[in-house]
Amino acid sequence: METDVLIIGAGPAGLAAAFEAGSRGLDVVMIDESSRLGGQLSQQTQMVSMLPSQYPPMKGFELAKLLINQLHDFPVKILLNHPFIGLYQDGSIGVSDGKNVFPISAKKVIVTTGAAERAIPFLKWTMPGVMTIGAAQTLVNRDFVVPGKKAVIFGSSDFALDVAIQLKQVGVEIEGIIEESTKLTAQNMDKINLIKQASIPIYLNSFIKEVGGNGQVEEVYVQQDQEVKTFHADLVCVDGGRKPITEVFYQLDCSFSYQEKLGGWIPQYNERLQSSQEGVYLGGNAAGISFHGSILLTGIIAGISVCEDLGVLEADEANSLRDSLFKEIKIIESKQDDHLWLERMTHIENFLHPKLKNQFIS
Amino acid sequence: MNTSYETIIIGGGVIGNSIAYHLSERYREGVLVIDKKYPLSGTSGSTQAWVWVHNKTPSSYAEFSMYSAELYPYLSRKIGDVEYKRTGGLSPFFNEKDRDKAKRLAESYREIGIKIKVLSREEVIEKEPSINPNVAGATFSKIDGNVNPFRLADMYMRAAKKNGIEYSYYNEVIDIQKKNDQFIVFSKNGEYTCKNVILAGGTWSRELGKMVGVHIPVNQVRGQILVTEPLKPFINYTISGMRQANNGEVLIGYSMEEAGFNRSTTLDVMQETANMAMYYIPDLGKAKVVRAFSGIRAVPEDGLPIIGKVPSVENLYVATMHSGITLSPLVGTLMTELLVDGDTSLSIAPYSIERFK
Repeated sequence: METDVLIIGAGPAGLAAAFEAGSRGLDVVMIDESSRLGGQLSQQTQMVSMLPSQYPPMKGFELAKLLINQLHDFPVKILLNHPFIGLYQDGSIGVSDGKNVFPISAKKVIVTTGAAERAIPFLKWTMPGVMTIGAAQTLVNRDFVVPGKKAVIFGSSDFALDVAIQLKQVGVEIEGIIEESTKLTAQNMDKINLIKQASIPIYLNSFIKEVGGNGQVEEVYVQQDQEVKTFHADLVCVDGGRKPITEVFYQLDCSFSYQEKLGGWIPQYNERLQSSQEGVYLGGNAAGISFHGSILLTGIIAGISVCEDLGVLEADEANSLRDSLFKEIKIIESKQDDHLWLERMTHIENFLHPKLKNQFIS
Repeated sequence: MNTSYETIIIGGGVIGNSIAYHLSERYREGVLVIDKKYPLSGTSGSTQAWVWVHNKTPSSYAEFSMYSAELYPYLSRKIGDVEYKRTGGLSPFFNEKDRDKAKRLAESYREIGIKIKVLSREEVIEKEPSINPNVAGATFSKIDGNVNPFRLADMYMRAAKKNGIEYSYYNEVIDIQKKNDQFIVFSKNGEYTCKNVILAGGTWSRELGKMVGVHIPVNQVRGQILVTEPLKPFINYTISGMRQANNGEVLIGYSMEEAGFNRSTTLDVMQETANMAMYYIPDLGKAKVVRAFSGIRAVPEDGLPIIGKVPSVENLYVATMHSGITLSPLVGTLMTELLVDGDTSLSIAPYSIERFK
């Protein structure tokens, strides 16, 4: 199979990039390992705000629908259930359809593989009943399964609070939100107020020491100061944050550098969202964990840069588009968390000084 | 920080570590192992780790390999369990015409005391029921097996450290100079002086040799290896190209490519490898491959080990080879004898670097 642009990952960043390339007449192939478009966004029922200026605040799955629908009229070929599995010697991308592996040869590749949740290990953390906070949400929203009756939530990000409220709405009793630091990590006051209104107890300076039970979680032991408190619960939702999914970049031999706020080791890129491999671009959470707005904007920038490099967009226009898009990223990121924006800038500056290159060469 | 040593070993793979450990049995002071990265980050950590004797040529090299394989059980008793398993090695052939070749190999080995059986089709199937029933026969040797390379290098290292050997990691050697009777080893983290230098840099031997003006003709050959999901034990022997590890994973590799130090994997080779594996063991077609990795092998120009003194530079030694896992117990033993006693109990003359002159 041959195409102008191959997009790996059909979440919000991939969809946004596909629109840029497809709407300017480029042939686009978009692959995703899952069975549906939109990535995690498709099952997010919480409101997503801080979107780029053209979008009003809306729920996650509504945004996903919008991004999917805007591709309808354009030459975007979508291959679901098609994971990337490696590279051929000639540089073409190996994709599996579940039975066979075939090459896709693309002039440009945009990698928008998103992020994966991190877990937090504690004693017996692999016991059934312990899951990441996102997994709990997926069970409720995608699979219509209530993950437990009584839950303890470990971590207090905005996302964890969203899911706590949501679990409560579907009838799960929230026994407590456990936070290691001295205050909640969530920034959004509305969400914090919702938790308070719902009378969900919050335990600061505390952490899960161990869970117990006969083949499945029955008790949760929480250490607070010198005391260990026992909760009776069958569900533990762990909010360990997220990390970019980077395997594809390793395969493509991209350079990396470390940015704590952006999620750890991430591929290096310039202000064009172009990686150290000339034909490889990236966007979304794969380019650093951030807010929905930045996920879309970086995907759009990657799409624009590809359009420019394939000659369907003038350099002047591409530059001015990128400038204004970066201004939007700055507004979104510096408003929520100034360090995030500063780190992104540092990351882009570091592009000229690869931190981890040729990682296969030892 | 101590900067003066009796002996510095450059390279902390299985060979460098084996030499360090065996030296530590004889003298415990003044040995430093320097590694540009960390032990197992290179060839020793990216191998199928066969301890393999049969079908090595010439037969004298097979003999040398056999002596090393014979040392493994004893080594395990000294340094701890390295998961050495003498499974027996099976090299199947699928064409009746290959039987004569196999018989000639067996004959030439018999003279030096390595017993190789040429098996009939039925015998192969009896030994390894999951093999392709179109098999024509196989050569079989009891002495072959495999080892856990991670445990091997780690146990060598632990034992050596316990005996007083010093280590310096992430410390690339940049230059080596000889002044009077001393070597000065310049590394990223500092300078060291020593009487003896042992070059055990494997794939990097050529570069290390240049620092002391010695031509060490070692090339890099890339091998890509597939790893399956853990499967119930069903492969009984170490079969050319594959083995089943203790945890049930099957490691499969046949490829040899020239790719310098590039350790990427490529789908072309992965698919060829998978097809080969399915040809040998058809049931593997049902297994999932969960991982692929590549390793860079050190392959001397004529395929044989390069071991011993470097005559042109006094007190300089070299130990680099393909099949370092198989040979490490013997090479460590012999190099120690050479350093401490000045001679070896088994001739290493055929492996002298002099042969490349």
